[in-house]
Amino acid sequence: MRYRLPGASTPATWFHKPVQTLINRAERLRNNLMALPPGLYLLLFFAAPSLMMLFASFRYPGEYGGLAPWYYVEDEQFSLDFTLENWLRLFESSIYLGLLFKSLGYALLTTLICTLMAYPLALMIARSNKRFRDLLLLLVILPFWSNFLVRIYAWMIIFSPQGALTIGLNHVTAALGIEPISLMFSSTAVITCLVYVHLPFMILPLYANLEKHDSRLLDAAQDLGANRFQCFWLITWPQSLPGIYAGAILVFIPSLGIFAIPDLLGGTNGIMIGNVIKQQFVESRDWPFGSVLSLVLTGITLLLVLLAAKLGRTAGTDNGK
Amino acid sequence: MKKLLCCFVLCLSQFALADKTLNLFNWNDYIAEETVARFEAQCGCKVVQDYFSATEEMMAKLLAGGGDYDVVIPTQNAVEALIKQGFLLPLDKTKLSNIGNTAAGYMNKAYDPGNVYSLPYAFTTTLVGYNENKIAELGIDPADWSIIFDPAVLAKIKGKVTVMDDAEELFGAALKYLGYSINDNNEKHLKEAQAVILKAKPYWAAFNSSSYIKELTVGNIWVAHGYSSDMFQARADAAEAGRDFSINFVLPKQGAVLALDNMVIPKKARDPELAHMFINFMMDPQNAAELTTIVGTGNPNAAATPFIDEDILKITAIFPTPELQAKLETVSARNAKERRLANKLWTEIKVR
Repeated sequence: MRYRLPGASTPATWFHKPVQTLINRAERLRNNLMALPPGLYLLLFFAAPSLMMLFASFRYPGEYGGLAPWYYVEDEQFSLDFTLENWLRLFESSIYLGLLFKSLGYALLTTLICTLMAYPLALMIARSNKRFRDLLLLLVILPFWSNFLVRIYAWMIIFSPQGALTIGLNHVTAALGIEPISLMFSSTAVITCLVYVHLPFMILPLYANLEKHDSRLLDAAQDLGANRFQCFWLITWPQSLPGIYAGAILVFIPSLGIFAIPDLLGGTNGIMIGNVIKQQFVESRDWPFGSVLSLVLTGITLLLVLLAAKLGRTAGTDNGK
Repeated sequence: MKKLLCCFVLCLSQFALADKTLNLFNWNDYIAEETVARFEAQCGCKVVQDYFSATEEMMAKLLAGGGDYDVVIPTQNAVEALIKQGFLLPLDKTKLSNIGNTAAGYMNKAYDPGNVYSLPYAFTTTLVGYNENKIAELGIDPADWSIIFDPAVLAKIKGKVTVMDDAEELFGAALKYLGYSINDNNEKHLKEAQAVILKAKPYWAAFNSSSYIKELTVGNIWVAHGYSSDMFQARADAAEAGRDFSINFVLPKQGAVLALDNMVIPKKARDPELAHMFINFMMDPQNAAELTTIVGTGNPNAAATPFIDEDILKITAIFPTPELQAKLETVSARNAKERRLANKLWTEIKVR
């Protein structure tokens, strides 16, 4: 929003210019002040911790956890004690990078499934009668009323070998002559739960986007002879891309770093990079290596978010708006 | 709905009565509710419990500055580390009138000479709990570590086995299976143990230290590597639930990890007075006996023996015979370099 004095765009009278400059300055100041809280937030809770971890990643772990001192004074000789060991360990064998790729795969698959499931639902809610919309949205966020871990434990019961689902499925597999399957402690269980937990984060931004679409565009397209598929593919879909990118970021990032779900449901093979990071900070008390892994994960996440934000912006300007 | 309401009222009452609170940091399933209730009645205070399921987890939380607990129940090697860190408050023996009840054999150990900082609470062994019917049906010998490490045996119970999510315990078991000491820090031996674990891993359902009691009791898994006290509870739970199978547990013949857990007071404790009261309370013969009769731990309290059922005293996995005792080892504290190697091998196991 830019405040303009009436007539400021017409050839200026003698006082218009300085006043306009003053207003511009005030506006800039206001914008800067507005950016201050989020800037401070980022500095305090993102930049500063990341720098601390960068520092930690070149140090040795302490005797009983924590970090070893980064300098020694011996015989009045001051010496630094830094190491590249933690970073080299990352490349020592392919297992850490392999796990990172596997986790990226899980997160990507989760995002994809969430998109496929959320899109029809969000579209349905956006086009439903106004009276029901709030109720339908409430139903989407209803699961948040119970604790995240409680919901995961509920899935553990559903997936358990003694659960009705597994027993039922295994009746079917037995009839088809296939080996009985186990749902619990598998990557299927992990991805199912990742999708379940993150689905609302895809539905809500998509709904917010779809709800704003101008229905007259669809009418016009129909008048011009577009069939229903063309209406969707040429009008609705391109306009909804910013919503998809926003939802994808909200789903992808948390599912990439999650450790609780793979811990509880993943068994011996379903673990993700988040579990190994948690393991370094908690069980192994190896903060330096944990920092290395966290920084790598943060770096990859940042890159992907920048990419998504860029895509979202292009999509937003190219289409519809 | 009624339950919900009850929960709500309980939550409220917690705030209302919280004038005196004992913050206890304990192993999960390691104290009987009856005992806690009695202590609360006696001291007119509220006991708030936090739980851990692995020594490393507890150490990480304490050393990262988390939680100012009044009493912590660490295992002997952690006591040693906590003393060296200057984390503990020396105990005031004048406030501990029941101290004489503890059997002399459990006092004055190398990890805390003279019991300046710690007093024994209970002990457990880490062993194998199993579904008696299934294991008998399959003709597997449960009293041998091969039940969780030998692929030939595991092939019969694939996906029905969980092992502890704990480097010390799992490496300890694997080293014993190979005939080494659990405190072996020889890199070659540790790598051999890692190889054994990696070969067995595809047959395991999960690394699990916190919910194997339930999984065994429900029948989801047939073999679990875990603490003797937990297996005792799994057995009782299965019997109580009237399952069509029974749970039992046994010490593997190669020997196993013995964990002597202790009561300590951190320097940061909010109420050391109450903490001493709790320690003294737990050394009372009757209260100590409940650790065995209800929780199923081994008991260092000599005066408690008359209060323990004959049947439990006969379970060798809880009260090992002298021959078995000779094969049990306690874990010693590792130094940073040794810990680093073990952790690296452990991380590789988890990731592969």
